Amino acid sequence: MQQFLNYLNSTQTPGETGNFAWATIYILIIFGGISVAVIAMNWLERKVLAHMQVRLGPMRVGPHGLLQPIADALKLLIKEDIMPAEADRLMFWMAPVIVVITAFTVFIVIPFGPTHAVTDMNIGVLFMLGVSSLGVLGIIMAGWASNSHYPLLGALRSSSQMVSYEIAMGMAVISAILMTTLTADGAGTLSMIQIVQAQDKQQMWFLFRMFPFGFLAFFIFAIAMVAETNRAPFDLPEAESELVAGFHTEYSGFRWSLFFLAEYAAMLAVSSIAVTLWMGGWMRPFSHWLAGDTWDAFFSFFPAATFFLLFVVALAGTVRMPKHAAFKIQKAGLGAFALVLGGIGVLLLIPPVKDRIQDIYWFVAKVSVFMYAYIWYRGTFPRYRFDQLMKLGWKVMIPVGIAVLIVVAAAPAFNFVW
Amino acid sequence: MTFKELTRKVLLLDLLQGLALTFRYQNPKEIYTEQYPLQRPRVAERYRGAPRLGVNAETNETLCIACDLCALACPEHLIVVTSERNPNTRRKELTTFTYDLSRCMFCGLCEDACPTDCLELTQDFELASYSREGMIWDRTTLERGPQPTKYER
Repeated sequence: MQQFLNYLNSTQTPGETGNFAWATIYILIIFGGISVAVIAMNWLERKVLAHMQVRLGPMRVGPHGLLQPIADALKLLIKEDIMPAEADRLMFWMAPVIVVITAFTVFIVIPFGPTHAVTDMNIGVLFMLGVSSLGVLGIIMAGWASNSHYPLLGALRSSSQMVSYEIAMGMAVISAILMTTLTADGAGTLSMIQIVQAQDKQQMWFLFRMFPFGFLAFFIFAIAMVAETNRAPFDLPEAESELVAGFHTEYSGFRWSLFFLAEYAAMLAVSSIAVTLWMGGWMRPFSHWLAGDTWDAFFSFFPAATFFLLFVVALAGTVRMPKHAAFKIQKAGLGAFALVLGGIGVLLLIPPVKDRIQDIYWFVAKVSVFMYAYIWYRGTFPRYRFDQLMKLGWKVMIPVGIAVLIVVAAAPAFNFVW
Repeated sequence: MTFKELTRKVLLLDLLQGLALTFRYQNPKEIYTEQYPLQRPRVAERYRGAPRLGVNAETNETLCIACDLCALACPEHLIVVTSERNPNTRRKELTTFTYDLSRCMFCGLCEDACPTDCLELTQDFELASYSREGMIWDRTTLERGPQPTKYER
């Protein structure tokens, strides 16, 4: 047991030390975390989108609709499982499985902290891009196996879109990887953890490195990742006004919920890549500009403060609940939820937990900014027409990506780095 | 394309403007949706809803003089007024008044025709009924106004 717990003092990920038990624990924690994040994201998306459209959003299932995603999940699980009679049964069954597996496998190399990753691969970025683009295969399989027009068209659109934007994405990623060589010894890396450490060494996020080229690369990636995950304004594969629901038209119940889960997991995954490559991964903001013990102590209270803020918000919601007999249970529930949030906040103040949670907190905070942006785009931008999408991808994103790549690659050769 | 337009396009200013707009609208004060059964909707003053036969507030006598003008004005002929002459006062007095809501298009012509301001289309809007017969309102219903069921747990 003592030996088992000794790992907590290790400076390496469980994958590197070959610690099978801890790797399993990490995988389970990440799996649970993603599932909770997807549930939260589902609720947040409906709520934020509703507020942007001056609506209320879910209000009836639980206080402020907090239990709505759980009710939806339950409904999906007990729905009849329909498989079209003419469908290719094996492929129809395989497609959602492949999509989910690829979406979740990516999380193996995502560094939530220097030790908080399942493993650290020396080809981490390549692994992520490779595995996440395998998801297209599942989508094509879904579209083909459904043996129906809309899914097939949706799958075709999806695959062509993903393949075109992958190039621009690759260009942006390469320019970020090239920036890891801008150190004294000039050694670059593809490992996710070492990329963040390179940003730490260079005392700058790659977002601001060689300004504006780091920013441009990030910007290209930020657009390409929205297109990669088939989200608005690039949601043509599942454009409901044109294709019903695209590749998952024929799916229902549990299989459909797998696609849903995979979509949100993929969104989290690409956001994590963006955070790792350009926004300093687990590093806290201003880790060099505002260095020193005082600032460290100051920033270490952020995780607890976040939960206390949520606690206050939930408490305010409890107090402001309408005075009506029908709201008694909801009021008690929201109050209990507020107490749970406050309890987590107190838990995060315990020194060992506080130290342990720092890197995870900052990583998740940065990822959640991206997740909010996803909802924000969806609430703001109208959908692209397909030829406009392709024009943007091939005529704008890829040339700009190559230009940025050339500058980032050539400038160090002339000892011209800023 | 002028230089100004080009800069707007390259810097994506239009997109940023749109993002700023949706961000501002997230303010909960902007929300327009009402929580219907708990929150009563704001019905416009000129809304034409459930018909109502007015009664004298003190004596509880109907204001209707059984002139039949509303029935004549109604394009759907859904109002039926019956009356009988009181032998003592020599005045026509209302006996029954039926109003078939299921055929009503709430044009308000009956309301306009009424010489005593007795018949009016009020702002009540909860007119749902479990049967077709429930949509045919008699004199008592019209005088009392609709009594929607209040659902409570």
